[in-house]
Amino acid sequence: MSDRKQRFEHLVLPHLDAAYNLARWITRNDHDAQDVVQEAVLRAYRFFDGLRGEARPWLLSIVRNSCFTWLQINRPADMAGFDDHAVEMHPSEEDGPEVQAMRKFDRRMLNEAIAALPAHFREVLVLREMEDLSYREIARIADVPIGTVMSRLARARRLLAEAVGAISNAADTSMNK
Amino acid sequence: MNSDETFKLLHAYVDGELDTARSLEFEAYLAANPAALAASERLRAMSAAIRGSADYFAAPVALGVRLRASVPVVPEQVPLRAAWRGWLRPAVSFAMVALVTWMIAAAWLRPGADDRIAREALSGHVRATLAGRLYDVASSDQHTVKPWLSARLAFSPPVSDFSAQGFELAGGRLDYLDGQPVAVLVYRRRQHVIDVFIRPGDGREAVHTVTLDGFNIERFARNGMNFWMVSDLNRNELGDFATVVAERSAAP
Repeated sequence: MSDRKQRFEHLVLPHLDAAYNLARWITRNDHDAQDVVQEAVLRAYRFFDGLRGEARPWLLSIVRNSCFTWLQINRPADMAGFDDHAVEMHPSEEDGPEVQAMRKFDRRMLNEAIAALPAHFREVLVLREMEDLSYREIARIADVPIGTVMSRLARARRLLAEAVGAISNAADTSMNK
Repeated sequence: MNSDETFKLLHAYVDGELDTARSLEFEAYLAANPAALAASERLRAMSAAIRGSADYFAAPVALGVRLRASVPVVPEQVPLRAAWRGWLRPAVSFAMVALVTWMIAAAWLRPGADDRIAREALSGHVRATLAGRLYDVASSDQHTVKPWLSARLAFSPPVSDFSAQGFELAGGRLDYLDGQPVAVLVYRRRQHVIDVFIRPGDGREAVHTVTLDGFNIERFARNGMNFWMVSDLNRNELGDFATVVAERSAAP
């Protein structure tokens, strides 16, 4: 019994930061992220015997499921209006000024733009760029096909580029006044 | 390359998801297409911006502390004798009282977990019957069934043929009960199928009979193994079978 606890502390708890970062980005506030992560880690402990392979993706999949359950109950609006099929896969290669504007982003702008993404896009972006997980791992965590991961990621980046472009354009305009 | 494919490849390339051959191929394409090359550079810039500048929320220290308290770990090594004189004796007394209280409460309240597992076992039985997939290994020879199961599980279930008592071993399969893989032995009596779910347990020898949806379920524990028997066989005969299996399994 105590063996199990030791193994859990050794294998799973080192990934608490990754778990919290994901939950914090999905729930978008500290208090709820703490509640969700606490519940998810205790659930992970209950199902610890089912752990095969690497602990980090395994823990993250439990955390993301807890997050989306939480969103469904507490922020149903965040889950609405999202459609994988609306993902546009034929953008021009000349992304133009909005993507160029990425070079001028600042930290606050970037954070706001990521936080404004639909939750499912935010999720894959965080897993890819902040946790450096492969498409395959993300697909397993989010329980969707790899193709869906690719299209969500592409869509997330495009929305992000547009948002950052729009914010910085607005900033430019106000400064030029 | 059509534009859809190019677009997907662009992201996969930037994310390092292409194998070497496809990566080289794509680089050749980029070299010939300045617009695509520029797009790939912008993607890289964005990726670097997120990694370098976006917030990364480390878990608050208090959360880690709270979790380590909720998932308690082994305390620091304290010499046993000193511990006994200090906190261990009252702790053990308290634990004993708590344990006895819990056992009484458990017996009194009929724990929900047993019913849930019984229901899971029933579902497993019905699924196997409906699918006509009663066994992964079909044999009446216990020396065939037991090694097959042992090779696939982290434990070795007791397997016996009870033809002499009118319960014929027909085979075995793997199933999943309460989040863990379990052994299932399949017996036949006349036209009835009896599934015996086995997994290592706490050895609590609580015998427990329930009827769910017209199926009878016998639960008992012997020699470190927990047993659930599920069948549409009548309660008396299933009870007899439970007694027979329990007797055979009592000796290691």
